[in-house]
Amino acid sequence: MHIPDGYLSPAVAGVTLLLTSGLLLVIIRKISSAKDSLNKKISLFTALSAGIFVAQMIAWPIPGGTSLHLVGGALAGILVGPWLGILSMSLVLLVQCLVFHDGGLTAIGANILNMGVIGVLAGYAVFKLAYRVSKKVWLSGFLAGWLSLTLAGLACGIELGVSWNSIIPIYVMGPWHVVLGLIEGLITGSVVGYLARKSPNIIGWS
Amino acid sequence: MSSRKTLLTLFILLLLSPVFGVILAEGLGYHEPLDIVAEELGLSELEFTWTPFKDYAVPGLPEWLGYIICGALGVLVIVSVGFIVKALIRR
Repeated sequence: MHIPDGYLSPAVAGVTLLLTSGLLLVIIRKISSAKDSLNKKISLFTALSAGIFVAQMIAWPIPGGTSLHLVGGALAGILVGPWLGILSMSLVLLVQCLVFHDGGLTAIGANILNMGVIGVLAGYAVFKLAYRVSKKVWLSGFLAGWLSLTLAGLACGIELGVSWNSIIPIYVMGPWHVVLGLIEGLITGSVVGYLARKSPNIIGWS
Repeated sequence: MSSRKTLLTLFILLLLSPVFGVILAEGLGYHEPLDIVAEELGLSELEFTWTPFKDYAVPGLPEWLGYIICGALGVLVIVSVGFIVKALIRR
């Protein structure tokens, strides 16, 4: 879902870049004023970011179609909370873009907005809500991963659709990510479920 | 999980990654929904780059090896950022 250079109109690229940079600045300010909490979470933040980077390199291609792999937004939000989760995904996406040309420089705002902001916030919110209602970690993680990827894919479709005044990107990206989101959900649910059993104290919601 | 265990897990995943990211991806003709959109709308990627490691490859090395090295490089960059932030907090 990494948008390359040339896929977005300058207006959409510019607006998403402005929105994302503004939000990241606010989050960095907010987080740097709470040094104690950051100090406690920085090791987990680093391991999580490295883990998501590596997990994204392990994609299982489906013949003639697409690939199954973890994007990680929901996982990041659940494990370190929404603000650090957004920073973790932003770090991964920046390294992917700047060092490996995975995603375009002009599309970095949109890519962070979709996978790093919408994916994280949706995943975090859905997990909290589902956990409050069901008290089931795996189910909540599954729903969080599924909706996180679905909404991130849909946002990507809307940006491309607005760029070229076409409804096609939304029709393609939306349904595809509803299906791919099931895999995101399975992985998110399993990882969160595993961590909740092994080291319950590191999970952000507890 | 201890940091040693985490690093070991990451290392094993890195060694496995070319099986998926290079070998299976090529064998099965990998493309993603975004590529379908690009085809439908006739979009093409701009032909300029700023890094020698484009698409997780190292010039002159076989694809699978370059993929592993790029994975390790990415992890190194992320871990370094983590260390710098840690040092800044404790200053």
